[in-house]
Amino acid sequence: MTTLVSKLRQSTAAAVLTLAATALSGAAVAKDVTITVWAGGSNDSDAYRWEAIEMAADILEREAAIEGEELNITIESKGQFGNWQEFKQAVTLAAEAGTAPNIVVTSHLDIAPWSEAGYIVPVEEYLDLDAWPLNDIYPNLLEIAAFDDVQWGLPQDAESRPFFFWKDTMKKIGYSDEDIAALPAKVESGEYTLQNILEDAKKAVDMEVVEKGYGFYPRPSNGPDYAQFYQSFGGELIDKEKGKLVLDKKAMEDFYQFFVDAVAADVTRKNHLGTDWGQWYKEVANGKAATWHGGTWHFGRYAQEGNQDFWNTIEFSLIPAGNEDGRANTITHPLVYLITDNANDDAEEIAANLVKIASEPRINSLHAIQSNHLGISRQQSNIELYANNRWADEATKRLLGHANAQPNHVNYGAYSEALFKGLEAAWTGTKSPAEAVEEVEVQMKATLGDELIIR
Amino acid sequence: MQRSSWLGLAFLSPALIVVLLFFLMPVILTGIFAFTNMSTATGVKGGSYVLNASSLRALTDAGLPDVTRSQIESAGYRVDERGLAALAEAHGQAVAEEFSKNHAGEVFTKRRDVERALKDLSSNPIRKTRDRKAAADLFKRSILNQRYETLDAFEAALNEAGIPKPDRPLITEIAYTGWTWTTANFDLLLSLDSTWQYAKNTGIYVTFTLAFNVVFGLFLAITTFYLPAAQATAFRAIWFLPRILPPVLYIVMWRWFTWDTGFISTVLSGFGVSSKNWMLDTEYHAWVTVILINGFVGASMGMIVFSSAIRAIPASMLYASEVDGASRWQQVWYIILPQLRWPILFITSYQTMSLLTSFEYIYLSTDGGPGGSTEVWALAAFHTALNNYGGNLQYGLGATYALLLVVIGVLASLFYLRLFNFKNLLTKPRIEG
Repeated sequence: MTTLVSKLRQSTAAAVLTLAATALSGAAVAKDVTITVWAGGSNDSDAYRWEAIEMAADILEREAAIEGEELNITIESKGQFGNWQEFKQAVTLAAEAGTAPNIVVTSHLDIAPWSEAGYIVPVEEYLDLDAWPLNDIYPNLLEIAAFDDVQWGLPQDAESRPFFFWKDTMKKIGYSDEDIAALPAKVESGEYTLQNILEDAKKAVDMEVVEKGYGFYPRPSNGPDYAQFYQSFGGELIDKEKGKLVLDKKAMEDFYQFFVDAVAADVTRKNHLGTDWGQWYKEVANGKAATWHGGTWHFGRYAQEGNQDFWNTIEFSLIPAGNEDGRANTITHPLVYLITDNANDDAEEIAANLVKIASEPRINSLHAIQSNHLGISRQQSNIELYANNRWADEATKRLLGHANAQPNHVNYGAYSEALFKGLEAAWTGTKSPAEAVEEVEVQMKATLGDELIIR
Repeated sequence: MQRSSWLGLAFLSPALIVVLLFFLMPVILTGIFAFTNMSTATGVKGGSYVLNASSLRALTDAGLPDVTRSQIESAGYRVDERGLAALAEAHGQAVAEEFSKNHAGEVFTKRRDVERALKDLSSNPIRKTRDRKAAADLFKRSILNQRYETLDAFEAALNEAGIPKPDRPLITEIAYTGWTWTTANFDLLLSLDSTWQYAKNTGIYVTFTLAFNVVFGLFLAITTFYLPAAQATAFRAIWFLPRILPPVLYIVMWRWFTWDTGFISTVLSGFGVSSKNWMLDTEYHAWVTVILINGFVGASMGMIVFSSAIRAIPASMLYASEVDGASRWQQVWYIILPQLRWPILFITSYQTMSLLTSFEYIYLSTDGGPGGSTEVWALAAFHTALNNYGGNLQYGLGATYALLLVVIGVLASLFYLRLFNFKNLLTKPRIEG
């Protein structure tokens, strides 16, 4: 039913666009355009992902009016998808059926496969990257939204993925306030590693400060977070020079072993993966777990779960190094605005201009602060709303400088899927870490072929 | 053919069309997809031709001569006579002349540089971004990052760019973004341990759920048969609920029931049992839940079929047995069960087929977890082809899973036909013959 409705909508939109185009060829008549926006991975606090486009539409209409053109933009937005899986399935199948939304807010990792498949068009086809506000966006973020030297999208937000400690638990196992405050720096320097996490988590479980399985309480489903632990043990995701993905077998095995050790020490549950997200948030926000990891947007979520006192209850740091081969790190996984390939170039141009205007520092700050993400451009530090926010400020300083992104590569999806499957097999005890790595190797070799370097 | 036969066919045609469209076509398409490398990146409808940095790297690996590579890389945006003439036509002689004066003979690597150069012209004559980009494109001599929809267009572009003929087939092959035919999916499936794990999981799932369906369905049918009519109807209605509830709602209730903070945990915590996730705690928990969830749904179907079959047994036989002093157990064993042979066989074979391909309740409850221990074949096909975190939809590989499932289904049907000797069951009763 919904497909039917959306098809009807699409065809109406197409008809309207065609009519508008025909009308325009005559004189400056009103031009009605419907732009659809779909945003993945969003909840209520992320509403500015599409509301920013609505605000941009208002500005673009006014700009057009000043230039003597009557432009009426209707924004149809959809931000409620069950999860990333369903969102990506929906976009991909809609694109195949020719009914893709005009603007998609999604992971930067989709740029490579979607550009290859011809689902999206580069924003640089329509936008002057030397003009405001694009010339103010951090170059490294713009690079994350580019692939093969082409600017396919614009960064919609930035974030990073910290490690968290529950202060009260840490105190109960012998840390003083000063020790806890010094943790982030110790993590950064590599003095405090994942092995220390295991020790402290075990202490917390043994002393019955937290229940079994709650010493280290990782993310319950697949996500970029797990690549961080691979990096903690010295793993590299891509060989930048050769442009090929890298499977570092030793780092991968060490990374799997860490989770196996955590299960063996009773600090992490063997069946942890698949825990309900709602339950997970509630537990970590209220001190049921000693240590865990998450994202910068968790700050707001914990408040929703009843923890209004983040600063006095939780400490955050980079993801610690695993051993001497690795480093403390964090992954930033910016979402990007992408423009889909549309039969009508005018619609593409309008969509591109909308995402450009939505990237204005003031508009983007609304999203950044409401959803506890980080800003995308330099001038946001001159916007009071953004600059006066303690979380945005401290998280940026402590984390973003050390953040790297996952590589935009056509086959990265297959790579990360294999990485997680191997982790799952080792974690749940279906396979030993070494066996799991072997299977990952077979899987990656078969699906990535020449695009993989094995170390 | 007689006229009446045509009429019969005409009456059948809607059904035939439905069978063709919704049953046969998917199987045929699965068969086709299974022999391709179709994925998100290749798309389904076919590809175009694009040369970009990634394909250039692949070309180098494949042995493209360096000369050709640098020829492709360095073509860029050339301010030549042809471009200038086009610029003059689009924006006037003066603009072209000034641009020529500043940049004649130059080669820009990026369009952005050309745009900047155009902006720098005195009085910045091209004031719309879109027009400026179009003007810059007049100088484009590079074939990089350009999407050519047809082979002809791509070959023409290679020709125009002066790419040496011997290198063209390789370039064309690598630049193609669409899917190609391959049998690699089958090799990959067979080489992966997880494939065997999925097969084993499917075996466990089908065997236990089937046994539960049939035995429990029979139990319900027989026990309700001996109840007074009103009570029997009430019981049957209750046991029928799982089937008529929307699957999502049904599973949500199971989740509440089994979650860490759910019903079982809450009740048992009163007895000092520490709370745990009764659905996902270990793979045994997961299997029991999965089998019960599917079993209750399937059993209700068995119950209805068996109940009506029992009612079809002439009551006189049962009365007669009672007169002869048979116990309830003897009635069940010697009268009811033998007459249920046909419905039992039907339910067994029907449920085997539907269980082999069903995964919706597993998807909604454990989603194959913990650690892939309840990932059955059909669910693996769904995850591979249509539903995974990275959005890396491997239609070809997923279809290969599905195709093998079709083959297994056909083999199982043949096996059942032979085992249960359906032909005998279908022979006409001698008395009417």
